[in-house]
Amino acid sequence: MPAFLAAYDFLLVSMVLAAVLALSLYVPLMAGQLSLASPGFYALGGYIAAITSTKIFPTAGGLYPVSLVLLEMVVAALASAVLGLLVGVPALRLRGIFLALATIAFVEILRVVSLNLDVTGGAIGIFGVPQPFASQIQYMWLGLPLLGLCMLFVARLEQSRTGRALIALREDELAADAMGVDPTRYKVLAFTVSAMIAGVVGALSAHFINTWNSRQGTFDTGVSLMAFVLIGGSRTFVGPVVGGLVLTALPEALRGIADVGGLPAWLAQFLRDGRLIIFGVMIALGTVFFPHGLITPTVLQRLGRRRGSAV
Amino acid sequence: MSVAPARAATGPAAAAGVLGVEALTCRFGGVVAVSEVSFSVARGEVFGLIGPNGAGKTTLFNLVTGLTTPTAGRLRYQDRDITGLPPHRIAALGIARTFQNVRLFGELSALHNVMIARHVRTRSGLVSGVLGLPFARAEERVTRQRAMDLLALVGLADRPGEQARNFSYGDQRRLEIARALALEPQLLLLDEPAAGMNTGEKRGLSDLIRGVRARLDLTILLIEHHVPLVMDLCDRIAVLNFGQLIALGPPAAVQKNPAVIEAYLGDEA
Repeated sequence: MPAFLAAYDFLLVSMVLAAVLALSLYVPLMAGQLSLASPGFYALGGYIAAITSTKIFPTAGGLYPVSLVLLEMVVAALASAVLGLLVGVPALRLRGIFLALATIAFVEILRVVSLNLDVTGGAIGIFGVPQPFASQIQYMWLGLPLLGLCMLFVARLEQSRTGRALIALREDELAADAMGVDPTRYKVLAFTVSAMIAGVVGALSAHFINTWNSRQGTFDTGVSLMAFVLIGGSRTFVGPVVGGLVLTALPEALRGIADVGGLPAWLAQFLRDGRLIIFGVMIALGTVFFPHGLITPTVLQRLGRRRGSAV
Repeated sequence: MSVAPARAATGPAAAAGVLGVEALTCRFGGVVAVSEVSFSVARGEVFGLIGPNGAGKTTLFNLVTGLTTPTAGRLRYQDRDITGLPPHRIAALGIARTFQNVRLFGELSALHNVMIARHVRTRSGLVSGVLGLPFARAEERVTRQRAMDLLALVGLADRPGEQARNFSYGDQRRLEIARALALEPQLLLLDEPAAGMNTGEKRGLSDLIRGVRARLDLTILLIEHHVPLVMDLCDRIAVLNFGQLIALGPPAAVQKNPAVIEAYLGDEA
């Protein structure tokens, strides 16, 4: 087991962080809003952590205090919430594909801005973001509780008055409005929560991957997150979590298959590098055959019943 | 009860009404869907709205509930000007509706459909709901209980967990009434509630509407094509034709009105 953890430390932590990011995309989707803004807030959170730890509290050597990482995560959440409100209020007047496009533009704007600012390190970015842990697997001490908290949050949200208002908007915005649910208010709320989650993951990720630049949190990330949610499932919080975990591990599994040998060179190459193509095809097929993803409330009910009868 | 002229809605008489519609006009491009319609609905009244297809009845409902903004004219609800307010604000003031082509939250259970409409009568927010604070929990229990009571009221108490879209057409209409009632409205707008119901269901619907009006102190605005139901239920009827109010009065008088007969049967001259 320790050997396994050591060999796959980077992948395992990445899986957990991806699951949290997938939840960030899922929350606006609860209200029927496809927002691809999460990578933007993820990038923002990362820069906040990278700048704080390298410029404001530079450590001479040794480990960076975990308490400061936690502080950065809080600051990233607050900054993302403020930016989320500023962007969300005008953007959420747009519907459907137009909202998706506007959020893609937002992510692109942030990327270009960070590419050109001095404080973000320009094209090179910020190197040597200090490490709070001696080994990468120890990031689980922060990653797992974060995932747990976010899962608990979204699970409880689904069962609450606020969550019902979001789901009502997804099902029929006009009817929800006529039943007293303020569409703008709840869409902005969902968007802001989503921004905060993404910002927190970004802050932790900057330490985890040791460097931060304008290639973090771009449209490509958005496509991956969309795949996590749409394939995993968009009708229960379990979907994005499973989607994020499994689909992050998938490229490694495919690489394993490619390395077995005996495969034609082009196929091995495709299995190694075709991650986004494979996600794209899965999204396309998934939306046709599993419009609500693989894990739906019905599937969960069936699983629960089987377990109940087995006991 | 006299056949009041359509213009009488303005002035002191209108103040007593729950709903005042004043010279309301709605144009869609070149089409005038509703043209200078005025009437006033008194507290406790069941007010029928009839007219041929395309007469502007549903548009009038959309105007009252804020889904469509009027081109001209005013809407008054309990001495408040509600013209141009967004739908959720109007709903919060106590106006609930059903839809002609049923707009339930199809994938959600019957119980959830009704619980959602308790939104404006409940308070718990994001944090209190997620943390499960005592008051939010208590509120949740009450919400669930009220929703169950309403399902029982419309005769669907035995299927709270079933997806709304699996219900028969008639049951969906009754579920929509339960959802509208969950808002605790003072004014209830029913858009063709009997459509798709069989004779027995229609009779049951009549009793249901009469029952909730008495029990919940409701004022009801009703669009309906089924003439016996309208004649049986309504205190007064307004007749629309091509967006204009052509008659207003008690059912018996409206039935004999030559303009109404002409609108329904066509001008033979």
